[in-house]
Amino acid sequence: MAKSLEEQGRSRARIFDTLAGIALTVGAIVFVVDLFIGRTGFDFGYVGAEVPGFLAATQLTFYVTTLAYFGGMGIGFVVGWARTARTVPVGKILRDRTALLSEDTSRWEAGLETGRLVLWSGLKYYIRRIADGYVEIMRGTPVFVQIVFAWSVLLVNYPRLDRMELIAGIVALTANTGAYQGEIFRAGLQTVHSGQVEAARAIGLSRWGAMRHVVLPQALRLIIPPLTNEYIGLLKVSSLLVVIGIQELTGYGRSEAFRSFKVFEVFAMVTGIYLLITVPLSKVIQLIEMRYRIPGLGIQATGPESRV
Amino acid sequence: MIRVEGIHKHFGPLHVLRGITFEVPRGEALVIIGPSGSGKSTLLRCINLLVEPDEGKVFIDGVQVNRQDIRPEWARQQVGMVFQSFNLFTHLTVLENVALGPIRVKGVAREVAEEKAKQLLARVGLAAKALSYPAELSGGQQQRVAIARALAMDPKAILFDEPTSALDPEYIREVLDVMAALAQDGMTMVVVTHEMGFASNVAERILFMDAGVIVEEGRPEEIFGNPKHERTRAFVSKILR
Amino acid sequence: MATTEATVSRRTDPVSIPRGHLVRLAEMVGGGSIFLVILQSVLGFDLFDRDLWSSYGSIFVAGITRTLTYIALVLPLSVSVGFALGWVRVSRFRSLAWPATVYIEFFRGVPPLVIVIFVSILGPTLFPERFQSVELGLILGALAIGLHSGAFQGEIFRAGFQSVPRGQLEAALAIGMQPVPTMRYVVLPQALRLSLPPLSNEFAVLIKDTSLMAIIAGGDLFHLSQRFMDQSVLTGAGELHWLFIIWTAVAVVYFAMTFTVTRLMRLLERRVHARSLEGISI
Repeated sequence: MAKSLEEQGRSRARIFDTLAGIALTVGAIVFVVDLFIGRTGFDFGYVGAEVPGFLAATQLTFYVTTLAYFGGMGIGFVVGWARTARTVPVGKILRDRTALLSEDTSRWEAGLETGRLVLWSGLKYYIRRIADGYVEIMRGTPVFVQIVFAWSVLLVNYPRLDRMELIAGIVALTANTGAYQGEIFRAGLQTVHSGQVEAARAIGLSRWGAMRHVVLPQALRLIIPPLTNEYIGLLKVSSLLVVIGIQELTGYGRSEAFRSFKVFEVFAMVTGIYLLITVPLSKVIQLIEMRYRIPGLGIQATGPESRV
Repeated sequence: MIRVEGIHKHFGPLHVLRGITFEVPRGEALVIIGPSGSGKSTLLRCINLLVEPDEGKVFIDGVQVNRQDIRPEWARQQVGMVFQSFNLFTHLTVLENVALGPIRVKGVAREVAEEKAKQLLARVGLAAKALSYPAELSGGQQQRVAIARALAMDPKAILFDEPTSALDPEYIREVLDVMAALAQDGMTMVVVTHEMGFASNVAERILFMDAGVIVEEGRPEEIFGNPKHERTRAFVSKILR
Repeated sequence: MATTEATVSRRTDPVSIPRGHLVRLAEMVGGGSIFLVILQSVLGFDLFDRDLWSSYGSIFVAGITRTLTYIALVLPLSVSVGFALGWVRVSRFRSLAWPATVYIEFFRGVPPLVIVIFVSILGPTLFPERFQSVELGLILGALAIGLHSGAFQGEIFRAGFQSVPRGQLEAALAIGMQPVPTMRYVVLPQALRLSLPPLSNEFAVLIKDTSLMAIIAGGDLFHLSQRFMDQSVLTGAGELHWLFIIWTAVAVVYFAMTFTVTRLMRLLERRVHARSLEGISI
């Protein structure tokens, strides 16, 4: 049956709303842009001439980001794993062990075994706490500080190191993204219900088999979207390397703006390039996410793009 | 009290309600049964205008309510609703849940509303839980609070949309008891349910719906004991194994 | 009917801190201290070096004050902007949702540092000559941080609104509530509660973002510390290992700030029973 009158009215209103919305947006953008260049006009010639320089700087941005990203991935994986280590409280171990004591086992052996368990559990616990601390520090301090700190360490200990700033920057970014990726890995591993592992064991899979065929496939689907978001986030964070003088896109843009005084043109180029990279990438991620999602399964990512 | 004439409703290509007409006189407890997807919930929501019918008329107390020039809120104040998923306001205490309607919709003074709320909670057996939050209550308790909340608006009728379907078995009884007491007290009710025991004991009339139409209606003995239509017979025999 | 309660006042949980949290706090302080001690010996510095603090101390405090000022300025702005954006995107005014979405996509796609730099340069040009000054650039730069964070908060609030279960809306309508009171008494309280956890994260980010003011010489903690580093340490007037002390101290301050804010927000969450609602994902 054809749409009721009411529904037809509603879709007509929707089209109107969409058109009005687009008109409003375009109008606002034109208004704002005109505010800045209304008097002087936009120097397209300058943009044409300078684009190569900006693209070269963008290359550095990609280089630094990609290096730090994959370095950080290694760290992140270890950290994520460490933070899902299950530890049993000492009291429980002692209770369980004493319950299992029988007359034939020598006291000595039993004591040794219990001691080993306690130590192992304690070790796992403190490794996990250290990993926790690492993540907390990286998330709780500004990246500026992290970058400058890494730079200071290199300055004091290896003052004549070639390209020290670059190395310091990459190290700082690696440490930073390592923490955030650690969070992502942890969330992914934890979200796959432990009941899944139980069920997998129940049908006869070994612990490793369960991991391979049940946990990891699910965990991977959970992890990949936030992980790719993290790449985009790291790309934006790389702009902070300007603080130690690295001429990635933002640093280059700032220098250019001060040199040529074509501030709005530089601004347009810099933001244009960033948007050209981040927006399509985000959309692609959204599409992939939608195609591969498992209904009812998802991580609460801590907004990896929204961080400094 | 409640009358619907020729109700049609489409959701996209789906013709969910295909010409529903019936009447609920004052004080009657009407139960609607039928398979999933037959449109029972949609029909209920057409009565209190949570869903707008595409065609047809809805009358409450003689007044047609599905008109452009009447606010839907009026209809909803006359006819209360109890939902399958309770839908208690999670950020408010039980008492506040029940009193919210009178205070914010009817403009009753807070002390008066809360006093009345306490009485209603006592009536459904939950006076002690007045200051608890919904999350702290069992399903059955939450649903009874939901009934008190509907009663707080002094409705002329109450609609029940599968009120016990989301409950653990041990809690179904307490809710049905409250509903039976309400029917006993003369409340006009339209109940969509799968609880055949309730239908046969409490209902004065039963409607059997399937695929958007009312297939048969009659007293419980007729519907369960001697159904006239084949589809009714099939459904009833499946349910009453 | 008699109830057991004498007064019908809203029951409040005493906001006591459970023992588990105290243990973890002790762990954190202890672990942090051990970490600092190890750091000091590895990198070779003494956190309480008298010489450094005699010259740096006042600068340190001035920087903290300025940073706190920026936070006080920017936080309310960002929340207002974020709330407005989030609300617009779920409201009936679909045409307004378009500019809001473009705004959010823009600020999410560009690094905040870029925004700060260029707003501080270009912003003053919009004002008449006599108002243009360095201070104006700083203020605009700080506001830019607020606008940027506002975009992210817009997403948070939108998700908060959309996470209020539909049944709550239905129930409110079913008792005859009109749209405005429904928003005010049913949807909004729950949307805000649902927004609290991701909001606390965003506040932490905002606090760290104030350090971006350093690029435009904003006089915040990072900037002043950097300037001290340039002037006093790198010129040879001070010890090189002072660098570690400075940046460790700065890191500790920022950490303390973000930690305090997130924990306070968590207390707030518990007090308004935000936990009884489901969390949201962004």
